[in-house]
Amino acid sequence: MNGGSDNQNIDDIGCIEAINDLYAYLDGELTDPETVAKFEHHLEHCAACYSRIELETALGRLIRDSAEENAPVRLQQRLRKLIDDL
Amino acid sequence: MVQEEAKAWFSRNVEGCLDGLYGVANRLTRNGADAEDLVAEAVAKAWASLATLQDRSRFKPWLFRILNNCYISDYRKKAVRPIHYGYDELGSDDEEDLTELLIRLPDDFLGWWGSPEHELANRLMAADIVTAIERLPEAFRVTVVLVNVEGLSYDEAAEVLGVPPGTVRSRMKRGRTLLQKALWEHAREAGLIGDEHREAGTT
Repeated sequence: MNGGSDNQNIDDIGCIEAINDLYAYLDGELTDPETVAKFEHHLEHCAACYSRIELETALGRLIRDSAEENAPVRLQQRLRKLIDDL
Repeated sequence: MVQEEAKAWFSRNVEGCLDGLYGVANRLTRNGADAEDLVAEAVAKAWASLATLQDRSRFKPWLFRILNNCYISDYRKKAVRPIHYGYDELGSDDEEDLTELLIRLPDDFLGWWGSPEHELANRLMAADIVTAIERLPEAFRVTVVLVNVEGLSYDEAAEVLGVPPGTVRSRMKRGRTLLQKALWEHAREAGLIGDEHREAGTT
């Protein structure tokens, strides 16, 4: 977050708008600086939405850690041979 | 680029995203042997059409797109049909409906998830998450894996799937909401949460 909790110049958004932007924010897809500032300003003032983003961050990490795969060695060998023979 | 240089470049880049390719293939086919065949087929097709890749920095989404297309044309019919969670209310693409769903997730779920005394539950949940992902309807499953696991941007995932970026955005919302509801219900059924939470989250 970029701080600015006392910045009176940022309009507060409601929880509905914050939740609507939550996943785009987590995925790094909320790129408009003004929208990001409003979102983060809301998080600093809303315990419920702050908890929500903590949950979503933890869940995102768990999904990534749980679903990541390592390709089997035999597939690596198969592809090396396949590419060699192309 | 001469043939040998092109082949070395291709091989290096395939190797760089092989774990991701296999992971997506596995989530699509739900079968390790089919996943390996699918990856091999996609790599062979990619080499054959390498000349069509205009921007080489887009190799990864380009290769994932070929993989997805191979799956749709050759593997989808024989893929094991999962038992989908019955969330009929998720049928709409309407953004307001999606936000409604996110708001309706039970507060108990938020509190339970973060409680230190549920470390054990968190460990068990990690194994269940793969099952929950595999039971997602295909469109959400592959989108969640591409973005959340493989780290593709919405634009790149849109390129892979041949859909607009806005569709990726709404699928990410809905896919994650489905996962959370599934995990919550699993936790209740498996007794991972206390009686005081048993009736929550049923709306």
